Amino acid sequence: MSSATRQKVMRHLDIVKQLQPSLHVETHAPAPDQVDNEHYRAYTRMSHDVGGEPDVPITWEEKEEEVWEHNTFVTCEVLAWRGVWNAEERRRRQNVDVGQTQYLGLPYYGRWLLTAARILVDKQYVTLTELSDKIDEVKKRYE
Amino acid sequence: MSKPHFDREHHVKKATGIGDPQCFKGEAGPAKFKVGDKVRIKDLPDIFYSRTQVYTRGAPATVAELVYESPAAEDESWDNTDNPVWFYSVVFKQKDLWPDYPDTFANDTVETELPERWLEPL
Amino acid sequence: MAEKHKPAPMVDEVSEFEVLEIAVRELAIEKGLFTAEDHQHWTEYMHTLGPLPAARLVAKAWLDPEYKKLAVKDGVKASLDVGVDWVNSMPTKFGTPSDYCNLRVLEDTPKLKHVVVCTLCSCYPRPILGQSPEWYRTPNYRRRLVRWPRQVLAEFGLQLPEDVEVRVEDSNQKSRFIVLPVRPEGTEGWTEDQLAEIVTRDCLIGVAVPRPGKTVNDPRPVRPAINPYKH
Repeated sequence: MSSATRQKVMRHLDIVKQLQPSLHVETHAPAPDQVDNEHYRAYTRMSHDVGGEPDVPITWEEKEEEVWEHNTFVTCEVLAWRGVWNAEERRRRQNVDVGQTQYLGLPYYGRWLLTAARILVDKQYVTLTELSDKIDEVKKRYE
Repeated sequence: MSKPHFDREHHVKKATGIGDPQCFKGEAGPAKFKVGDKVRIKDLPDIFYSRTQVYTRGAPATVAELVYESPAAEDESWDNTDNPVWFYSVVFKQKDLWPDYPDTFANDTVETELPERWLEPL
Repeated sequence: MAEKHKPAPMVDEVSEFEVLEIAVRELAIEKGLFTAEDHQHWTEYMHTLGPLPAARLVAKAWLDPEYKKLAVKDGVKASLDVGVDWVNSMPTKFGTPSDYCNLRVLEDTPKLKHVVVCTLCSCYPRPILGQSPEWYRTPNYRRRLVRWPRQVLAEFGLQLPEDVEVRVEDSNQKSRFIVLPVRPEGTEGWTEDQLAEIVTRDCLIGVAVPRPGKTVNDPRPVRPAINPYKH
């Protein structure tokens, strides 16, 4: 375990464990001299890459599926079936592009869902105005 | 306005009736490593996306199997399939990954799959 | 389908997730990206999935050494004998997008115990094992299993002797994995059906081992859904 890379990896895992989603009292955008390379690596980390981070034991749970969760999974698979994205693009967008706060803060399928919405806009199949209007219209059905 | 064009057909044309990763078979060229080779995982930049876990970086491993050919995740996640590479199943000793892993369980291992670009001979 | 559902009585407003799900699905259909029938076909395909084919694969491998060799060498081919075609069983005819078509069967021995995790997301062999359990998807399981496997396995009730190698399979790319456990004592003369019954989902992930008389996963708390999907 003497190599410099292995020492870096161990320090990295210690640092990223301290990155947590939070509703902060104030935000910070540090000056360049306040971010060394170790912290650059931590802040630009891929949020999905959690293997080996320390954590405490939890109760292992099963879970009932929400209707929207089932439908979200199916929508994502069917979008791939019809060539809108491939599974690797989906995994990148929902596990890394979302960023650490949403990654750890939202339910598992919440990330799938936001990503499915995002791909429609990013690839210009739907304008953001159309998406926004549709959300508004669906909400009104429940009023 | 100008709109991008995305080819939604290329994967379905290539993989229908064949499967993925089978549809990339024969496209990676000769494999650089063989079963039993000792390798080390490189600590390459992982800006934006990778599926090479940080915990593997810099650690020694043994090639257990040449599993398939496929574009690396870094490329395929932007739908680029131009450059399929060999994927290897590699095995780590837990003791080589975690300094605090108990000596009592020195035989314990981790296996994972990595594309050729991340491996260097040891 | 969600169009028909009314918000559950205990909830005073529809959730943003429910709204967005409907919005995305309807927009995708309106724009011709897929059809309502495509969505329905995939739902129907999902209804056919569960752990039984994988359990049967294990039972067959216990009974037939030649089949076991095939399963370990070519899991996709061996799946055909339990009714799972990794390429053609699904509506795409090119496999499911998220599970790919490269099943690997991990053979346990008395000195080697496999357990599967996906530290990067929750890769899981859905075509032969159904949807993954909630605990498998948690960052907690994914963080810890790869580094403290014996502690995590002990929490699942599995204590392994020192001389058994624990091999964590970190399912991170396009292969998917099931564990082929050691056939337990006390099952001599059993039929394939009898054997398949004791190969639970948890045994196939590797956090449990099969035992005669044990035909269900260990009981765990079930987090109820606000608006549960009825399978």
